[in-house]
Amino acid sequence: MIFDSYEAYKQAGFKPKACILGSGPAGTTIARKLGAAGIPVVVLEAGSREFSDESQDFYRGKTVGDFYFDLDITRLRFMGGSSNHWAGWCRVLDKQDFEPKAWAPDTGWPISRADIEPYLAEVHDILELPDFRPDVPVSDDIRWVQLIKSPAVRFGEKFADELDQSKNIAVVLNTYATELIGDGKRVTGAKLWSNGQEAGTLSADYFVTCTGGLENSRLLLWSNQRSNGGVVPNATALGRYWMEHPTFEGGNAILANYSEFEVDGSNEAFFSPTLAAMERLQIMNFGIRLIESPYPNVKKLIADLACTAPNMAEWMSSQLDQKLRCAAQLYVAWEQAPLASNQIELSKADVDHAGVPRIELHWKKSPLERRTLLEGLRLFGTTMAQKNLGRVRIDDWISNGADYPTNEETAGHHHMGGTRMGTDVLKSVVDANCKVHGMDNLYVGGSSVFCTSGQCNPTTTITALACRLGEHLGKVIAV
Amino acid sequence: MKRMSRRAIVQALIALPALSLFRNRPVVAEPDEIVEINGWILRRSDLA
Repeated sequence: MIFDSYEAYKQAGFKPKACILGSGPAGTTIARKLGAAGIPVVVLEAGSREFSDESQDFYRGKTVGDFYFDLDITRLRFMGGSSNHWAGWCRVLDKQDFEPKAWAPDTGWPISRADIEPYLAEVHDILELPDFRPDVPVSDDIRWVQLIKSPAVRFGEKFADELDQSKNIAVVLNTYATELIGDGKRVTGAKLWSNGQEAGTLSADYFVTCTGGLENSRLLLWSNQRSNGGVVPNATALGRYWMEHPTFEGGNAILANYSEFEVDGSNEAFFSPTLAAMERLQIMNFGIRLIESPYPNVKKLIADLACTAPNMAEWMSSQLDQKLRCAAQLYVAWEQAPLASNQIELSKADVDHAGVPRIELHWKKSPLERRTLLEGLRLFGTTMAQKNLGRVRIDDWISNGADYPTNEETAGHHHMGGTRMGTDVLKSVVDANCKVHGMDNLYVGGSSVFCTSGQCNPTTTITALACRLGEHLGKVIAV
Repeated sequence: MKRMSRRAIVQALIALPALSLFRNRPVVAEPDEIVEINGWILRRSDLA
């Protein structure tokens, strides 16, 4: 069932066991799992079926620190959430991403990759993915990895009919939970704002916040403030350890033979470090995206190479005469070290139309990440040269330690952390089952529970974690 | 601190040229050695 307002929903007399906030990949997946288990669930979606400026305005906020996207641009507030502008790139976090790293504080998850692997077949169905091929070692340091460009499932569109026809799932559009009310043990209700006005309080036995990697922290921070700590009793880490995937053009490569690596439909191939290389260099994970260059760029690159390595340039020129296309741009995206100082706070000056404080995001890239960028490119370049697969040139701004450019990709629009998973209540917000520490009936879905970010796009892992949480919650509720 | 004897100083001075012989021994360049020049990551043999 899908309702356009909370008023219409109330008239239907639906009695939910669980209330899910948000209809993005996490919220929709958990709702479908509960619905399939015969558990009545209501999904509150703050926006409508379509994009609107009015709805997006609730997402405005401020960033302090490094340059970042406007907060009302980097996410979407309507049915299906940010899957509506997702590019569809898929890969699951690596086994090594879940493990603690001695050289990077506060890394390591309380679960391993094996805990989400049982759900990957389901994830492949949801995201319409073929099977992943295993990583291919290029050297002891570098792996050739696969990142699948999927059809980019828009959860609102794909599952609208199924949700509408479901007797166990009620989706309520244009209905925003401004605040959860809690007594330190349980959430007792959610205060609502629907179609431009206060709409009363909704009760359910269980609540799951799936409002996104920025909004989950905002909702819980505000709710906790209003309930005097009654929603997140252990709130030291709430809003903290927020992470992105910084992304910049890192240089160029000339390859001996571009067909050496099977590229995808966009002529791109992806590379990541081995755990041993990360450990040796004491760096974070990273992904190098190799994109075929336009032909004039190849000539320019070879001219530059001729000043330094004439023999190599001459050989490359002869290859060009054979009409080989063999140069590439290198983009680097990397894992941010989890830092408590990268955090979401509530604005003291600005509120949205419902009176909820807007986000003030404090975000800075660390020296460890700067080293990851430089050493990662050196590692890749060294492998290319040692294996005689090609030669790499690192961009000057990276070699010279200049400031990050502000006219490039900047980051992946991947919002992770803020309600991270863990066992230490001082450094995490939810436990291994995504239940808020100290609360009996409050769970969190989505990338805000990520402890570390790995190097890959988060949606595949978000969906796997949502399948796992949906199954867990189904068992808990059924007892 | 104990003063060095004149004999020890002379012996040290005599030894110096011999030490410099070792120091100035030309390094044999490995053709597969990886070098970084002007941002390029190359094999030394590329520079020929």
